Amino acid sequence: MPNPFGVLQLSGCAGCEVALLDAQEWIGQRRLAYMPLVLTADEFPPVDTLLVSGAVRTDEDLYRLRAASKRAGELIAVGTCAISGGVANLGDRDEVRDLFFSAMERRHVPRLLPKLRPVDAIVRVDRYLPGCPPMPHLFMLALFGSPDTRLAASVCIDCGRKKTKERPTQLRGLQEGLPDPGICLINQGYLCIGASTRGGCQAPCTKAGNPCVGCRGPSDSFISRSSDEWFNAIRKVFLRMTDIPSEEIERELHAPHLSLFVFQFADYTVTTRRPEQVL
Amino acid sequence: MPTLTFPLSRIEGHAQIIIKLTAGEVQHATLQATELRGFEYFLQGVPAEQLPIIVARICGVCSTAHHLAAIKALEAIYQVEPPPAAVYIRELLMLGQLIQNQATSLFLFTMPDFPGSEGLPSMFEFGGDDANIARRALEVRRVGTELIGLAGGQFIHPIRAVTGGVSSPLPEDGVRALRERIASVLPLACELFERYWELFQGLHDRIGTLGDDTPSHYLASVEEGHAYYGGNLRVLDPDGVEQASFAPHEYQRYLTEQPVENSYSNATLFNGHVMRANSLARLNLLPRLGTPIADIYMLRFQREWGHPAHAILLFDLARGIELVYCLEKALEMLEHIPDGEIKAPYTPRDGEGCGVVEAPRGPLIHHFNVVNGLVEKARFIIPTQHNILAIEQALMVAARRYVHGDRIDLELERAVGRVVRAFDPCISCATH
Ligand code: SF4
Ligand code: SF4
Repeated sequence: MPNPFGVLQLSGCAGCEVALLDAQEWIGQRRLAYMPLVLTADEFPPVDTLLVSGAVRTDEDLYRLRAASKRAGELIAVGTCAISGGVANLGDRDEVRDLFFSAMERRHVPRLLPKLRPVDAIVRVDRYLPGCPPMPHLFMLALFGSPDTRLAASVCIDCGRKKTKERPTQLRGLQEGLPDPGICLINQGYLCIGASTRGGCQAPCTKAGNPCVGCRGPSDSFISRSSDEWFNAIRKVFLRMTDIPSEEIERELHAPHLSLFVFQFADYTVTTRRPEQVL
Repeated sequence: MPTLTFPLSRIEGHAQIIIKLTAGEVQHATLQATELRGFEYFLQGVPAEQLPIIVARICGVCSTAHHLAAIKALEAIYQVEPPPAAVYIRELLMLGQLIQNQATSLFLFTMPDFPGSEGLPSMFEFGGDDANIARRALEVRRVGTELIGLAGGQFIHPIRAVTGGVSSPLPEDGVRALRERIASVLPLACELFERYWELFQGLHDRIGTLGDDTPSHYLASVEEGHAYYGGNLRVLDPDGVEQASFAPHEYQRYLTEQPVENSYSNATLFNGHVMRANSLARLNLLPRLGTPIADIYMLRFQREWGHPAHAILLFDLARGIELVYCLEKALEMLEHIPDGEIKAPYTPRDGEGCGVVEAPRGPLIHHFNVVNGLVEKARFIIPTQHNILAIEQALMVAARRYVHGDRIDLELERAVGRVVRAFDPCISCATH
């Protein structure tokens, strides 16, 4: 079988790998040459495509990433952790950093790096596949591509909830109340950021009655810009559609469950990520 | 002291085995977990209501279990009972989790260990009559993620369960479609499991052992007809007598956690004893499961290996029986989705609370202290930790079998891999 590909898992949750296993249609079309989760291989073989999931958290992550990238053709960073650090980034918050490192110091197997890094801070990345985790159909696109695929520009387009004239005056808690099934979550006072989040996921969260937390990262317009501009775009949507005080929005936008995803792209200026690199 | 190091593959997460020898004698065998993200630390100061979203990311393989355990802990703090119709949906979510996990562990992780004299590197290498195992195995496991997707709204980090209930009812067309899917996959799963059982026997004949069979303590949070939703934690003693049953918030009276040198995972003990959790623990506690096909397998299992059974490789077969049980149980439950309220009102408040679910690897406990709406302390008692000492004990048994005064049998490397996979440890979870 032609076009071998490999999967390198750094510090993450393996959700990205599980999603790839769900995209089982690749079996028989491309050869999986490396993926310790499901196959035993002593050494990293040369591959045409390398998918990297997880963030660079330990010295071992760093070593394995460097070694594997040398043997890979195209490198695709997969999932929030690889692209921006993801959930483990919360460990770099000033309030908890010292505590974290002092408690972990004694074990040393392997050593934790002083700061968590996304993959493209270490090696060249050709393409990005954002999502936490990305959907199986997006993995298929990443592996086989198809130049004429157009994904929805934003989550709103896939969501299908109707926008109304209703103008809420305060934010509802993330899990508060029971949302009306047909109406836009913003009209109901939920902090949903689907309007400027890139589409392609088919909006499973909002369809099940939960606000989008932005796991697919910013839509094309914000990829090469700073996260402030993404924040601004979200603020503007709420100004236009609600009477919720902007301080309230501001505060909630920095809540951990959102900042996990919202800082997705912009704060790593090591390399500029261009929209055409992002699936 | 000579040291042997075996990196592990076909398990969830990063770990290796270290065996230390002096003068041809095995001194230690340890499982080193080599990753850490630090959830217990970085959750400090996070608003409690966000826990169900954030903690799902502890593990992408068993995110459902973390999502629900966190919600149950918050519900204990807020003193709110989710309505029965919501619990029903959550149970379906857990069944999806189990189907996905047991199919993965059986066919992707352990089955390649069985054929021939050396096993295979992966399930993609099966040939001859077995050549389509990979495709069929992935089909079975995908039904698990489809059920998670249906019941949880998202196929990996689910979102439909929320504090107080669930955020929306199940779509009817989705329920119908999934019923058909499961009905078509159930015979496929049985067929694969039969083949698995055959190959397993072949391995047994070849190596002449099923590994460490020391009678042991078993821990599980199950009762007959359960759907892995968790309730009281129950402990079986080595003679098969139920020795304790306690509520999640009482866990500290029975379970102690100890750090493990040179590993990012802690280990738990029951009243100072090494114990085992996961599939075999559940089957030892539940001699009858309550669905027709699974109970036939159960009888066959007990006839061959007795009850309670102790040899560690039997964890693998036990997972197969559970896979069949979960498919049957999900099918049964999808027939009648109850109507009624799906979310109970509550007022968030501060306090301390615990939540438990029976995750694929055993009871998972989340324990939170909330002050001013923020997490002051978060503790996770992880199923893989319950098994850490049992794994090391079984590694010692394997090492002693294959390390001789003057030479080391090459079977050792395969044996330690099989030992660890029998416990299906999840290192992302264990270290979190
Ligand atoms: S991006 Fe999400 S799913 Fe993927 S490894 Fe990170 S936490 Fe897990
Ligand atoms: S709706 Fe939002 S949070 Fe949900 S999968 Fe899509 S981008 Fe991610």
